[in-house]
Amino acid sequence: MKRTLLALASMAALALALRGIRLEEDPVHSLAHPDPIRAQVFDRYQAQGLFRDLIFVEAQDLPAADAQALAAGLGEAGYAEAPLFDRPSPETVLRLSPLLPRAEVERLMGEEALGRRAREAASVAMLPGGDAVLEELERDPLGLGPALLVRMAGAPQGGGPAVRAYRSPRPMIYDRVGRLYDLLVRLGPRVHFIGGDFFALENYRAAHHDILVCTVMSLVLNLLLFHLFTGRRVLLGLLLLGSAASYLCGLVAIRAFFGEVFAVVLAYTSTFVGFNTESLVYLSGIDPRRKREAILGVGSALGTTLIGFLLLLAGRTVMIREMAVASLAGLLGFLGFLALYPRLLASVSFRTFRWPGVALSGRWLAALSLAACGVVALAGVPGVATHVDAFRFQTPVLDEQVAHFSSRLDALSLEDVVAIPARGSAEEALAALAAQGLVDPARHPLARLPPRAEQEATLRALSGYGQAVARLAALLEEEGIRIAPAPQLPPGIAPLDGWRYLELLGSLGPLRWTDEVGGQRWLMAGLEPGRAGRDLGAAVAVSPRHHYDALLTTLSRELGLLFLAGLVAMAAFLAVVQRRAVRVLYVFAPLFLAAAAFAVWARLTGSSIHIVHLMGFSLVIAIGTDYTAVTVSGGHGPVERSKVLVAGLSALATFGSLLLARHPVLRELGATVAAGCAISMAFALLVPLRQGAGEGR
Amino acid sequence: MIAALLAAALLAAPAAGGVVTPEGLRARYGGIRRLEAEVVQVKEGKHWARPFESRVKLRYTPGRVEWETVAPVQALAVIEGDALYLVGPDGKRRDLGPMAGDPRLEAILRFVRALLSVDLPGIERDFALTYGPGELTATPRPGSQLELFTAVRLRFGADLSIAAVDLETRDEKTHLRFERVEQDPAPAARP
Repeated sequence: MKRTLLALASMAALALALRGIRLEEDPVHSLAHPDPIRAQVFDRYQAQGLFRDLIFVEAQDLPAADAQALAAGLGEAGYAEAPLFDRPSPETVLRLSPLLPRAEVERLMGEEALGRRAREAASVAMLPGGDAVLEELERDPLGLGPALLVRMAGAPQGGGPAVRAYRSPRPMIYDRVGRLYDLLVRLGPRVHFIGGDFFALENYRAAHHDILVCTVMSLVLNLLLFHLFTGRRVLLGLLLLGSAASYLCGLVAIRAFFGEVFAVVLAYTSTFVGFNTESLVYLSGIDPRRKREAILGVGSALGTTLIGFLLLLAGRTVMIREMAVASLAGLLGFLGFLALYPRLLASVSFRTFRWPGVALSGRWLAALSLAACGVVALAGVPGVATHVDAFRFQTPVLDEQVAHFSSRLDALSLEDVVAIPARGSAEEALAALAAQGLVDPARHPLARLPPRAEQEATLRALSGYGQAVARLAALLEEEGIRIAPAPQLPPGIAPLDGWRYLELLGSLGPLRWTDEVGGQRWLMAGLEPGRAGRDLGAAVAVSPRHHYDALLTTLSRELGLLFLAGLVAMAAFLAVVQRRAVRVLYVFAPLFLAAAAFAVWARLTGSSIHIVHLMGFSLVIAIGTDYTAVTVSGGHGPVERSKVLVAGLSALATFGSLLLARHPVLRELGATVAAGCAISMAFALLVPLRQGAGEGR
Repeated sequence: MIAALLAAALLAAPAAGGVVTPEGLRARYGGIRRLEAEVVQVKEGKHWARPFESRVKLRYTPGRVEWETVAPVQALAVIEGDALYLVGPDGKRRDLGPMAGDPRLEAILRFVRALLSVDLPGIERDFALTYGPGELTATPRPGSQLELFTAVRLRFGADLSIAAVDLETRDEKTHLRFERVEQDPAPAARP
């Protein structure tokens, strides 16, 4: 009783330590490029990017009632309309003025245009709130800004659907955004929408479903299993309480190392009960007469599990590292909890069962393993590639919206933008890309940069700027209105070269066209359709989808190498612990079979290995190898086989529950680990190592 | 002149107007199909050489507001949907070019439309409302596009007919005095 009170007090303290932990919904936020320069190029592009704290809504032919409902929905969710283009400072407008044709400047400074501008300004100024127009007039008296906008973005097109931007509320209240999202879906197909908030919302909803469903399913199934095999209710309490302790330890570790927890990691922690069942099974009911064999089995099992988790800890994705830290802390927390109840553990006995098996000699085992490797060689090792779609939850509704806006961006040559390190002029850098057929220079903003001679002609026309401004002020004065604009052009207005032009352009709109990162000048350009995925050497994909696809594939390859390193570490560990090569081979044999099965499946379905498979492989070697390690250590005794049956069924129940998840990361993880563990369990239970085979080297 | 205007404004204010409540305003102005009024507007501030008084004919229907200045100059501004355009002496429409699509301007237009028809949900979208004797005060919500307004006050007569509106921005004060207000359906005809 005292021990249980101590455990409960410790858990209460752990729960208190969790205060202030933040929840992150979108797993894509866990990704950062390992190369700091590339990461910075991407981050700086995104910081100014289209989707930063904005959502976009495009409505066409919406009935008045629906339009009102949409406006109300946006307001209730906390969204405020934002301009697509920032209002340029008067100085920026004037610095860009050489882009205007000389004739346009002369027209704007003509008596007719000035008179009309004064009359219109006076008319609008008479409206309530009309002084905002006079403020605007003071900033840009001649209307150079709107003229530049038409020059840069083209004349406003009537009739087409207009895209409006809305600033996201912070903090985001998911229930309110959820109501808006449901409304937007109902209004389709007249309404299209996109924004990071909707991805976060879908992931939030999926993660909450997964946390609840997977935790309940996993817990209920494991408790049933444990009850079936031991028949003791006190052990159910031990498992339940210990799982709560391990869950808290895992979360406190995340709190300590990361500060925020990904929702999908929370859902993943539903698997702890499976790991805990395994530990509880292996550590309980140890026969004092066979203590040495039992310790060997438990040591091998826990050692390989720890190596599997440490392997994930070396991953470069924050979310995967969170899973590893939580798993390690959860496992240690549960073991610490069990240490309080040594007598209870010793008193446990497992029901034993008998079933036929096919005993293998060392030679046959080697032959079987070689055959499995041969199958892998014949089927071919699948390629490694991860797409961001497999990494986060996305419904067909959002897929449709992404496709819609991708086609819009593609029309503007913005769907797949890359940053290219450049030397020399911007025009030379763009010409080099065009020569490779990667970009259409006519669709790049540089195409709208007038030749230097034309810019100089415009600047000569602008020498009358001060006079025109004074004339406009006089016309307004006649209407009783006073404005005090800058009387002259500021000094230093000069023709623009390519880099300066792109810098100024980037300061106006949501797209950055050039940047300086790592002492290097970068040029941004939209790739032509069909060029995506092509290796562009030093280029950095800055469009999110392409960037994350490339990044996840790189991280997957790194995790693959780590996985292989982990296998070597595990083999070395088992060689030391088990001391017999044939025993080590026996422990690994189901992995060869699982690898062969995966290679054949990948070949038949045309699938590649992605990052979640690799996470799953790491867990399979952490859990699946335990079964063969325990049975071979215990000489395939009935108690060990029974324990492996409980542990295996527990793993299947735990990771099988993940198949009910909505999140693709959890579903794929569940399928991979459940399949791997099923093969390992079946092998450990049905294919024992022939007696005496483990005694020789 | 300023003293005379202030005196006129004060005299125009309802003497201890009726109790203004959201329910009362909704009952009087909800579902309004047409409102016409003659308005005297006085603007003063940084951009006005002297307090500027104008006479305005206001015509409101849902979806369209006509703000016709009849003196001292003739000008007609029309708010239709989220768009603002001018109508010249020749009767031709004159769009305001790229400025017309500016969300800040559209927010102002939405507000003006809501203000002139006492559309409470429309005003509340950007403002927090406080009800007092004979008046309603609107304060911009933080982050609203309409934070340029520092204070907005609507004054009502004893029968909740709109009597005056005061708007203040950082650089301008606007006083609107409503005269000869007609609305459809008429208040008496309402259930």
